[in-house]
Amino acid sequence: MFELTGQPIDSTALRARLARPDAGACVVFEGWVRNHHAGKPVSRLEYEAFDELARFEGEAITSEAEQEHPGCTVLCVHRTGSLGIGELAVWIGVVSPHRHAAFLACRQVIEEIKRRLPVWKKEHHSGNLAEWVNCTTESVAGRLAPENYYARQASLPEVGAAGQARLAEASVLVVGAGGLGCPAALYLATSGVGRLTLADAGKVEVSNLHRQILFTADDVGAAKATVAAARLRAQNPLVKIEAHASDVTPANVRALVTGRTAVLDCTDNFATRFLLHDACRSAGVPLVSAAVYRFEGELNVFRPDAPGCLHCLWSGRAPGELEAVANCAGAPVFGPAVGVLGVLQAAETLKLILDLVPPRNPPATRLVNLLDLSTQAIERPADPACPVCGNPVSAPPQRTDLPDSAPVVLTAEQLAALGPVRIVALLEPGETLDASTAPAAAMALPMGDLVSVRELAAQGGPLVLTCRHGLRSAALARLFRAEGFRRIYSLGGG
Amino acid sequence: MTASRQLHIKFFAVLREQAGVSTLAVTTSARTPTELYAELVATRGLTLPAALLRVAINDRYTTMDTPLSPGDRVVFIPPVAGG
Repeated sequence: MFELTGQPIDSTALRARLARPDAGACVVFEGWVRNHHAGKPVSRLEYEAFDELARFEGEAITSEAEQEHPGCTVLCVHRTGSLGIGELAVWIGVVSPHRHAAFLACRQVIEEIKRRLPVWKKEHHSGNLAEWVNCTTESVAGRLAPENYYARQASLPEVGAAGQARLAEASVLVVGAGGLGCPAALYLATSGVGRLTLADAGKVEVSNLHRQILFTADDVGAAKATVAAARLRAQNPLVKIEAHASDVTPANVRALVTGRTAVLDCTDNFATRFLLHDACRSAGVPLVSAAVYRFEGELNVFRPDAPGCLHCLWSGRAPGELEAVANCAGAPVFGPAVGVLGVLQAAETLKLILDLVPPRNPPATRLVNLLDLSTQAIERPADPACPVCGNPVSAPPQRTDLPDSAPVVLTAEQLAALGPVRIVALLEPGETLDASTAPAAAMALPMGDLVSVRELAAQGGPLVLTCRHGLRSAALARLFRAEGFRRIYSLGGG
Repeated sequence: MTASRQLHIKFFAVLREQAGVSTLAVTTSARTPTELYAELVATRGLTLPAALLRVAINDRYTTMDTPLSPGDRVVFIPPVAGG
């Protein structure tokens, strides 16, 4: 809640308004009028506000802080009029069950007020001298403005004012605010990516601190996405930073990915990696992916329109199998290895936005070894039979070492014997659902919508895919079977 | 010929002092706040560089290239200094 007042602020009365039985912390910030500024004596301050907009923005600032720091209640009062030395100019109080969120929310409110609340102050010096703060020649030259902040980057001929404008218009999602995500997001924010969203459901642990460089010892126990976002806002107040402090799931991945300029996969598990990859591919968004094992790392850029996708790379292997050899949770890791790879992800993303990536066909996996300082590019040829980015003309051999080797391809009789099933017809662009392509019970999905197929498969119960020739549906059913979905089938084909 | 529109301008802080008034009704052919501010620099002697300003139309922040409509309330926001 926000208020603007011409009367002296009574902090005791305001604090009483915040009392809440479940609150274990109350953080209060008071802005006082001091007797000097920039080396000059100050005798009083005069505050002026654009009333209508200040009330609207003030309310927006406090409610944003309450949303981003769940459990916090925020009250903020700002003065207008003539104030003497020692008087209260602004009062911010935050109560919350725990102190960490209250400190963060309070800091966020004062920084946002200084950034956007339409309030001005005039400093009165001795005699008749007075000046508007932030509007003098000196304050203009040193102020936090894009032309000052990005000066040393925008003067690169490869960037320039046009490149800086492209960065400002870009919207990037970073999934995973850990060893990779911290340095990646830091450089994306400082480079001026206009909108940056950090997604991570985790909380900061002591064992994260040696490599997850946005967090301090005081942050242990707090939500990673929220803390990292606050840290990045302090680093660059000129860009918009959002926190998504929950998991990326089949239900929300499309909303998170759609409309982005790029997505960074900084996750530590294959299930999320495949989910992000498929969502990016269907939304037409490039995915910059990295992974680290001890002293080594690998970097892949998956362009949505190019063959050579994550499924080609790991053809037929289940995330569970991959997890067993590559699981990061608890695995030993050399801190600088995630640092280097995270920074490389940021660099690749900036190059994508600035159109500085040299054409390379076929795409390559870039390997980096921190022990011998070697790097290596391994071509990543596309699998022509890949059901996701290729054009399968015949069925790949079925793997028999999987836990469930029940037939993937069903005849009409086998389908009938299966009992109640959900049938999904996969349609090519321009194709419509009709009796010749699908049984009557079928629902339709676009061929590329693997996110929906995965969501349906995860709901359990038999799921049967069909398509015009039965080749792609069979290939996709095998792909999902390999991922561990045991009750997915294809009707005919393959 | 460009259509002209009547606008209501409000000045705050340093701009109010430079303009010498706190409100001003103008009839102008300016299509955007950028064009309107350039006019005011010429007619009212405003000296704050346009790059430092933000703008509010009808009491909400917007961008300096938003098209202006007749009757709009326009406020140029000098660098703020709350807190």
